[in-house]
Amino acid sequence: MPAVKAIDVVKRSGHRPTEPFDRDKLTHSIRAACLSVRSPEGVAESTASNVVDAVVLWLDTKPAVTSHDLRRIASAHLHRYHPEAAYFYQQHRIII
Amino acid sequence: MANFDLLSSLAIVLLAAATHASFQLSVSMLTLLSGHALGKKTAHMQLMRLVGSFTAGAGVMIVLLLSTIALVLNVLLPVDTPPLMWAACSGAAVGVGVSVWAFYFRQEPGTSLWIPRSFARFLGDRAKTTQNPGEAFSLGLTSIISELLFTFAPLAIAALVLVQLTPTWQLIGILLYSGVALLPLLIVGLLIGGGHKLSRIQSWREKNKLFLQFAAGSALLVLGAYVYVERVFTVGVSAVGGQ
Repeated sequence: MPAVKAIDVVKRSGHRPTEPFDRDKLTHSIRAACLSVRSPEGVAESTASNVVDAVVLWLDTKPAVTSHDLRRIASAHLHRYHPEAAYFYQQHRIII
Repeated sequence: MANFDLLSSLAIVLLAAATHASFQLSVSMLTLLSGHALGKKTAHMQLMRLVGSFTAGAGVMIVLLLSTIALVLNVLLPVDTPPLMWAACSGAAVGVGVSVWAFYFRQEPGTSLWIPRSFARFLGDRAKTTQNPGEAFSLGLTSIISELLFTFAPLAIAALVLVQLTPTWQLIGILLYSGVALLPLLIVGLLIGGGHKLSRIQSWREKNKLFLQFAAGSALLVLGAYVYVERVFTVGVSAVGGQ
């Protein structure tokens, strides 16, 4: 598991305060996307772990990222491991 | 009194209910609610309770709205509904139909609707935090009220038709309207209960959203035109012919 350096996540639209990157929060959201499309728990866990590792590597060169970019990159990596979960992950904010 | 036959009245109620059914906010909210529940590893029975409560809430609100509008019209209008009232309702249906064509779905990926983004985020957050059937029921109620801007026209036309029927047929009309308007929620609920993936349901909705938008707008235009011809134009011609 790659170590996570301190990175600020700038929230969408800038109304909410910036917060530090939280690996567990991203893991939880990826796992939830996998479970939402009825993946078995083991698959959801391993997919979330792989995706978050890839995102952390990408973050290594960044001092700060926007929550939108974080979601976009996580979604791109998720698409490699679980296209259906990636689709639902992308749709989450644009269903309503 | 203009003597409209029962079949024609029920046809109008059914067409109005079908246009109501083509509006998508409730289905979007149910999809989101189910997605969050599955993501939190909610047990299947609890998931079905949430889906059932949401659908029941939507159904209750449709019945309440239709009954309330019918009651108000019954109190305010004379026994013979003035042609001006029919003309106003058919004009509203045509206006809403054109609005649906123009901006019901946003021109972006997904199934984003016309509602303001801050309100959409609020509804999304509420769906996310819903954990018990009581909350799901109130979310179902809210989903119907939130689309009142678009559903008022079919509801008003159905109510105008219902107030001219006998009490028994009024009850049947209300049940018919609610049953048809709830069909999309019932179908999505059955699909979720049957183990279908939400990604497939959402993918179908996204692929067919332009057709759904076109169908909803067209149905409202047809409803408005039909009501105008049958309840305003024909009555006017009959009155002139009878003089």
